[in-house]
Amino acid sequence: MLAVRDVIAAYGPIVALHGISLEVQEGSIVTVLGANGAGKSSTLRAISGLLRPKEGAIEFEGRRIDRMSAEEIVALGISHVPEGRQLFSELTVLENLRLGAYSRFARAHGDGRRVHREDLSPLGRLRHDLFHAATGGIRDAAREIGQYRRRRRDFEAALNQVFEHFPILAERRKQMSGTLSGGEQQMLAIARGLMANPRLLLLDEPSMGLAPMVTQEIFRIIETINRTQGMTILLVEQNASLALDIAHRGYVLETGRIVLADTSENLQKDEAVRRSYLGY
Amino acid sequence: MDELLQQVAAGLATGSIYGLLALALVLIYRSTTVINFAQGEMAMFTTFVAWTMLHWGTYWLVFILILLMAGGLGALIERVVIRPVEGAPTLNVIIVTLGLFAIFSNVATIVWGGQPQAFSHYPINDETVKLGAVVLSVHDLAIMLFAALIMIGLYVFFQYTPLGLAMRATAQNATASRLMGIRVGRMLTLGWALSASVGAVAGMFVAPIVLLQPPMMLAVLLYAFAAAVLGGLDSPFGAVVGGLIIGVTESLVGTYTPKEWLGPEMALTVTVFIIILVLVIRPTGIFGKRVLRRV
Repeated sequence: MLAVRDVIAAYGPIVALHGISLEVQEGSIVTVLGANGAGKSSTLRAISGLLRPKEGAIEFEGRRIDRMSAEEIVALGISHVPEGRQLFSELTVLENLRLGAYSRFARAHGDGRRVHREDLSPLGRLRHDLFHAATGGIRDAAREIGQYRRRRRDFEAALNQVFEHFPILAERRKQMSGTLSGGEQQMLAIARGLMANPRLLLLDEPSMGLAPMVTQEIFRIIETINRTQGMTILLVEQNASLALDIAHRGYVLETGRIVLADTSENLQKDEAVRRSYLGY
Repeated sequence: MDELLQQVAAGLATGSIYGLLALALVLIYRSTTVINFAQGEMAMFTTFVAWTMLHWGTYWLVFILILLMAGGLGALIERVVIRPVEGAPTLNVIIVTLGLFAIFSNVATIVWGGQPQAFSHYPINDETVKLGAVVLSVHDLAIMLFAALIMIGLYVFFQYTPLGLAMRATAQNATASRLMGIRVGRMLTLGWALSASVGAVAGMFVAPIVLLQPPMMLAVLLYAFAAAVLGGLDSPFGAVVGGLIIGVTESLVGTYTPKEWLGPEMALTVTVFIIILVLVIRPTGIFGKRVLRRV
């Protein structure tokens, strides 16, 4: 489903990824382990379009996405739940969830029209553009109204599904998200990511700053989302033992390079992994 | 007592103008943390364009066209002049807006000359309306009505439409907004467009009072700054309330200050004093948000 090939990426002069390759199979949970600064977050940022690779390719469902913008990539079906959650802290829980669904509307908009236009001759394009400049606004508005009910239904359905996973968010829907507890904030961040109706979910350190009990609950929910919805998940995590417990495959990242790739069972047995990441 | 009420009412009317321009400042500030020093001059410029157009069009048609044109001008400025300095230190952007200030002021002087012009064809006449003990001109009532309509319109837009929500999100966290699929650049352009339109309304109502001339918005801009700082630079609601408070203060101070204490001129001093006081006691303004976060 997702293939990252020899990706090199840098922040100015500082190279974060020295040629990363990894694959994610549809329906699986894949984890990327590594110490602080190993390039875990940069890997996710490269996939979601926040960090443009200098070299290499990223393919999602057979389509090159490494030159696309973050806004286009989320509309294709990749949701990135970023490090540190990055909630809209002065908006309510419900507003955060609404924003999570924003890309669906953008997707409904763009498509049809753009594809058309490129098939036309230059003169046809000019006519097409003039026509749409005149009528596009009205037509968009009409379509907007026509789709309003269906969208509303879709939104409500997505909302209900998310509330099933995270019932506490339903109780707190009117609350300002900055006032939630750390665990609730992480739940909201994941829920917001799910609202885009993604086919691939990128999770960056969901355990960050959380108590062990809360972390365990969140990991249990992540596993449930994968099992019941068949959601494909790429999980970046410092807590290697928890991550390997729910993942099917894992990669180990050291200073911007993949040093190990194997199934979770094999990684759990691996001497080096046990010493460096599992601590026994 | 009647005199007091009268002065308060007059203050509310001018305060509505300050509130509108303050609102324009806030619309830009809260999405980009830039103070647009050219806000007043942009409004002056569009009002001059309106004045030219009034030679052949009816007032309300021109009014609507000017709002649209001001929006276009705001969008254009954001794309062409502000976008290249986006991400640069805030000071750089502020200097760019000061440059815009000079450009609009000079271009207006070159095109329309420095002489004050009567804002002709203004359809709202000098008639007055008596409300209880208070006598207000139709002009003052129109200002308050428009300020209220714009406030309500913007509130509904920001609070109840997906686009408004996306703009609020962009103001708070641009990176997260991109991850939601929001085209952040477009939201900033739209913010400038809205701001310029709101400013243009202020200009259209200032011109009939003070005569149309290039420096006509200078004092208004100063009071609008005071209003925005007082209400909280990131709060549209605060901007309008701040504008009303400043307007009433100006009116009362101007009326009741004895001659030997500068008389009406004292109003400006008091206003600047208010800005300083707010910055010392409550830098975020009355309605500004204190940052509330749990890490």
